[in-house]
Amino acid sequence: MGAHISIPMYRRTVPQRYRLAGQRCTACGRVNFPPKAVCRYCRTGTGFDSVRLSGRGTVYSYTVIAGGGAPPEFSEEARCKGSYPVVLVELEEGPRIIAQLVDPPEEGITVGMKVEAVFRRIYEEEGVIRYGFKFRPV
Amino acid sequence: MAKSVVSYGSYIPFLRIRREEYISALGSCGADIKEKAVMDIDEDTVTMAVEAASDALAGVDPARVGVLALASANFPYGEKFIAGTLVEALGLSGSVLTSHHGGSALAGSEAFLAALGLLDQTDREYALVIVSDAPQASPSSGLDHGFGAAACAFVLARDGSGLEFEGACSRAGEFMGLRYRTAGETGVRDIGVGAYSSMAYNETVSASLSGILEKMGRIPGHYRCLVMPQADVRADTALAKKMGFGEDQTRDGLVYNLVGDAGCCTPFLGLCRALESAGTGEKILVCTYGAGSGSHSMSFCLNGPLPASPRPVGSLLEKKRQIGYIHYLKLKRII
Repeated sequence: MGAHISIPMYRRTVPQRYRLAGQRCTACGRVNFPPKAVCRYCRTGTGFDSVRLSGRGTVYSYTVIAGGGAPPEFSEEARCKGSYPVVLVELEEGPRIIAQLVDPPEEGITVGMKVEAVFRRIYEEEGVIRYGFKFRPV
Repeated sequence: MAKSVVSYGSYIPFLRIRREEYISALGSCGADIKEKAVMDIDEDTVTMAVEAASDALAGVDPARVGVLALASANFPYGEKFIAGTLVEALGLSGSVLTSHHGGSALAGSEAFLAALGLLDQTDREYALVIVSDAPQASPSSGLDHGFGAAACAFVLARDGSGLEFEGACSRAGEFMGLRYRTAGETGVRDIGVGAYSSMAYNETVSASLSGILEKMGRIPGHYRCLVMPQADVRADTALAKKMGFGEDQTRDGLVYNLVGDAGCCTPFLGLCRALESAGTGEKILVCTYGAGSGSHSMSFCLNGPLPASPRPVGSLLEKKRQIGYIHYLKLKRII
């Protein structure tokens, strides 16, 4: 079982999922991630330059998903780890994004903690591995 | 100028299991390891490859990479064009020349040698070689005890200052029954006849090593460092000694006792470790071995300083978390 994002749909988002490809609005200069048709900040800009985000940021907020609370595509991971943390990260370039945190520090996660993006298996469905990013403490 | 490695990167998974965990769970450990690296549930040879390659590409414009050579005997798919994932994840050009190498622990040196050749077929400056492996065997077989995981990547330049490639020598012959896996199987097997295994190893590796010394017109004393295949460190040590190499020459490239047997990646991770202490003008020999049996020996000379890797092997060896045997079996999807 899984989250039924179709493979063609997942494939369309490969640049943002694999290497954090974002866009800089040519009108207001702010960085949009994930990419949008209209800038989410100035709400008028439709011209963009592509930028690759550094993947560096800080924990803005976090939660821990207990085994039973995991969506079906993450159930294998939850069974293995018991629970896993999910963080809301404020990236250096500005956008806030949600992803899992790997190798969490033994002393616990803290708001403001520095993290970096890592390329990992997100889940597998129909025998197809869905790769994407997670975060790791720096 | 000759073709040279101009930058490199390596990756060792964060999780480790100690020898004592095997002894406490099974009564013994069949491998001469202190501890070994274990991939997390969301890692595979492709994710490790991305980690190592990102470091190797730290100071390199990905658009100038014209060749991508990949090596692993354990790609996550039996059939699928794996380089596509790496091209997207690393932001390489879609017109990069690709080659995939697998099938044995010789895949790493095969990829390295192929990349050197493919560099002549592109107008771009660099070739990227990625070697990532995590051998698998059934935990009940004993072969599993020594199997670790790691990745490393090298950027080769047609003309560049760094680790110059001087030449290679090969040996190929038939020794069936050693570290093999039939189509569709997930773990390797071995007939487990020690004397036969040693004979295959000694004949094959000594032939490629003496071949390279003869080809280069050198003696063991000309080399600062010899990096051995490290699938069996005792056999490595005995053979290196017999061929005239001292312990001081093999020490810097040893990674097996802390990482385990990382398949085709082990000797290249050893090379990365040796590079961290090597000085300009020093020569390094790297020897690989794939059961069945083949061996490559490659001669290098450090003709200029290499940029320090963002994550040296020494720091990756320090950064770790120990797990128990039950957790290990969960990660291997046994329970």
